[in-house]
Amino acid sequence: MSQNPSQNPSQQPGQYPILNPSLECASRDEIASQQFALLREQVAWAYERVPYYTELLDGIGLKPAELRTPADFQRIPFTEKSLLRDTYPYGLFAVPLDEIIRLHASSGTTGKPIVVGYTRQDIEEWRYCIMALAQMAGVVPGDRAQMAFGYGMFTGGFGLHYGMEGLGVMMIPAAAGNTERHIMMIEDYGTTVLIATPSYALHICEVGEKLGFDWAASSLRVGLFGGEPCPPKLKAEIESRMHITCTDNYGLTEVMGPGVSGECLVSRQQQHIMEDRFYWEVIDPNTGEVLPEGQPGELVLTPLKKQGIPLLRYRTHDLTRVITEPCGCGRTTARMDKVRTRSDDMLIIRGTNVYPSQIEDVLAGIPGASAHYRIIVDNETGLDRLTLNLEVQPEIFSDSFTAMDGFRQQVTDKLKSVLQVGVVVKLVEPGNIDRVMGKTKHVEDLRS
Amino acid sequence: MSINQLSVFVENQAGRIGRITQTLEAADVSIRGFSLADTADYGIARLVVDKPAAGEAALKAAGFLVRSGELLCVELPDKPGALDHVFTSFAEANINIEYAYSLVSTYVAIKVADIPAAEQQLANQAVRLVNQDELEELVVS
Repeated sequence: MSQNPSQNPSQQPGQYPILNPSLECASRDEIASQQFALLREQVAWAYERVPYYTELLDGIGLKPAELRTPADFQRIPFTEKSLLRDTYPYGLFAVPLDEIIRLHASSGTTGKPIVVGYTRQDIEEWRYCIMALAQMAGVVPGDRAQMAFGYGMFTGGFGLHYGMEGLGVMMIPAAAGNTERHIMMIEDYGTTVLIATPSYALHICEVGEKLGFDWAASSLRVGLFGGEPCPPKLKAEIESRMHITCTDNYGLTEVMGPGVSGECLVSRQQQHIMEDRFYWEVIDPNTGEVLPEGQPGELVLTPLKKQGIPLLRYRTHDLTRVITEPCGCGRTTARMDKVRTRSDDMLIIRGTNVYPSQIEDVLAGIPGASAHYRIIVDNETGLDRLTLNLEVQPEIFSDSFTAMDGFRQQVTDKLKSVLQVGVVVKLVEPGNIDRVMGKTKHVEDLRS
Repeated sequence: MSINQLSVFVENQAGRIGRITQTLEAADVSIRGFSLADTADYGIARLVVDKPAAGEAALKAAGFLVRSGELLCVELPDKPGALDHVFTSFAEANINIEYAYSLVSTYVAIKVADIPAAEQQLANQAVRLVNQDELEELVVS
């Protein structure tokens, strides 16, 4: 039998190798110069191959060859998510489709998803990023990682899968759902790493406890979380109940997927940005002004080696703070605070992005459905739950429960198919939803 | 011959039913009978009142969702088997009762899809059909 990593008693950070010390442990000056060289190439790639960026840069009179300082780069207008929607599906692709070897998608701000394409090199770079952040989390070759993300169009499943294989980890592609089977597999296959959203990990933990599964005695030692923010309290709870060490990583489909940044075993409230693959800026979300280092603001990312879709200055709408002091783990790469809030109204429900505007679109398409609604998000039961309180309009109110429930079911089914997330629809009296100065507060997030 | 019913949408929330009855009282509308049915998060209050038009207007003005509809109403002799008699008779004629509830005295309101057909079925029975005017004038001691 090969060495079982769960037998490794040490959780000391220094014990785990760093994938690419020449970048991850380089001086800040070296990192900056490596980064800027890649940034110039990336801007040229976008300018030469994507008509949108050709026009944009010509419009501000900036030639990629003249890009010399961050100040030059800051003249380029931001890229918004709506651009990906407006150019759906292939409008921003920088290479012919026969050079794209994979597509992924995520929910857009309205009905249509946004689509991203990866060249063979993009997939390789993605794998590299995942390998690096898995090592930050203490994953080593020989680990056995069980996937509890869905595969499909969502970037989390395949992204983590290939990265872990790249590191020499045995992948168990269990996919999302069927919690009891997950527990059986952890026990039978000697799983050491669980890849999941934190809320699903907690659910697995609780189901296991109910079944009498002894987490302290199990082979599991690492939780690799993503897809949604992981509040420190939730992480601490999972760590103590499952007897594992949990880290969470950050990424977004538009710039690649998971792999933008990851948590090491020393700085537990921050994540190291993969600075050889992403150029970061932090801006004031209201003015767009680039903020001095260490100031909280909105994260703006420019992928540095992206061939399929090279986005320049992409606004993530995630609020964070970035610092560059060296970390106790030995890495010198910049660290971002974990994202807890956003500058827009996007919600993350069990790892899936949901925009109130998607819900509005669905309601607009159903005769008799009111435009007055409120979304309530809670996690009382451990898993995120999305409830839609919908005002009943006079024209759909009926003396028949069958008719009313038929309407409710219609709304429920339509929302599920567009959002890819189950929604509990509750019918409420008109006027129930407070209107403040003609504007309704649409979202109430009660998650703890 | 039929009587009028007001159906009101009610959320399952403390005090909502009270608001309906307060609204009717303020409008000097008297309730002759009612039924409350609910699902997990909302219900429908069905009311038979003496002055349906006034009741409907008052409830709507108070912001309620109201729908008015027609029911068949019968007065039964107060003895065992009287209600069974009506239901059995409907069953024989294959008339489906969607719901029914009792009003003041021995009046029973019955929701059927086809009121004239139900009326005809009861024509030779020992029950008396009741109309809206009678409910308005009704005084129960």
